[in-house]
Parts: sequence; C-alpha cells; structure tokens
Amino acid sequence: MYRGREGQWAFLLHRLSGLAILAYLMLHVFSIGSFIFGERFYMAIHETYDLWPFRIGLLFVTAGVVYHAFNGLRIIVMDFTGFGVAYQRQMWYGVLLISVLSFIGAAWTLYPRLVGGY
Amino acid sequence: MIRARTFTDARQQSHSNAELNWWIFMRISGLILVFLILGHIYMTFIQVSESDATFDAVVGKLANPAWKFYDWLILALSLMHGANGARYSIEDYVRSRPNRAWVKGVFYTVIALLFAFGTIGLFSI
Repeated sequence: MYRGREGQWAFLLHRLSGLAILAYLMLHVFSIGSFIFGERFYMAIHETYDLWPFRIGLLFVTAGVVYHAFNGLRIIVMDFTGFGVAYQRQMWYGVLLISVLSFIGAAWTLYPRLVGGY
Repeated sequence: MIRARTFTDARQQSHSNAELNWWIFMRISGLILVFLILGHIYMTFIQVSESDATFDAVVGKLANPAWKFYDWLILALSLMHGANGARYSIEDYVRSRPNRAWVKGVFYTVIALLFAFGTIGLFSI
C-alpha cells in the first residue's frame, strides 16, 4: 500500500524523523534532568552539547519535529476524514514546504550560534 | 501492528484491543504534542535566546507548578508516543523472535528509567 510515489517517502521520512526525535528526546531529558546532580555536572554536559555537530544537529531536529508534527496531522486527516486520502499527495508537498521553511528559519535564528558565538 | 489508512480499516485489522488502543493513542497524543512541543520550542528557543537558558533559569522556571505540569505532560506523552513508534520499527526490522525480545526489553528499560529520572528531576525542585 505504501509502495511507490509520495506516500512511501512520506512514510519513510515520518519514521526516520520519529526515531531521530526520540534519540534527541532521550539526550534532552538526560541533559536537562542532570541539574539534579548539581550545576557543575549540568554545565559539563551542556558544554559538550555546544560542539559543532550538535549545533548543526539543532537545525535538523527543528525541521524534523516540524515535519513529523505536520505529517502527523496529515495522517490524522487521512484517517478520520473522507477527503484526506484523496488529497494526501498535495498535503504532503505542503508539509515538505513548511519543513523546508522551518529549516531555513532555524538556520536564520541560529546563525550566530552556528558560527561560534551567541 | 496496524497498517490502516482509515479508522475503519484499523478496527478491522487490529487483532487485539491493546493494538487498536495504541493506534488511537498515537493520533490523540500526536495531536496534543503538536501544540505542546511547538509551544515548548517557541518559548525556550525563539522567545528566549539559547545563552539565557542557564542552570538558574531552568531551575527558576520549573519552580512554577504550571511549568512542571506542562513539562511533565510533554515528558510522559512524548516518551509513550516515541516508545510505541520505536516498537513499530523494531517489530518491522528486527526479524528474529529472540532478538526482538531482548531488543525490546533493553529499549523499554531505558525508556522507563528515563521517565523515572525526568519525573524525579521535575518534582525534586
């Protein structure tokens, strides 16, 4: 049923973004929750997360969350309305557009941090 | 796992009530999480600069019970939503039964520990 065309890519991206967000969530809960071990431990983790791979990762996690959120809404529309399945392809291109715009928006907001400052 | 395109399909395909309930849970929690997470990103990432997210700022914000509840709701819903989503992936890609059992066992343990850790952290302030 998901073989070929846009539906397959929508499904694959939904899965990959979901797993990526879960990985991020696990790191995020651990790093923020680590304040119970005191400020030094908390800051040690956050200085590690300030390395450049994590800074670039922020862009992808932002776009990933937006994609997953809006594609999830698309899935809900497909599941519970009559017209959802008929327009799923058009809705997917809308979701992609919103995700790309968020990536650009996040890059714009994070530019100072990406190049090393705040 | 259910591979349905509509709620009617899902009901016909589900072999157990639990599986159908998880299918419904994914839709409802997803809908709630859209608002909770996008609000969270906006408030902690766009409205406030990253350099302002210091140790003191986090502790100060979480002193408010409303934020505690908001963050705990995100923690609980997103971990359940994420764990169930990952379970779908494990069931699809880990083909052998013994492997699937220990992969799931380790994964659920990590999720449970993380949930306990987050909850203790939130309510210890």
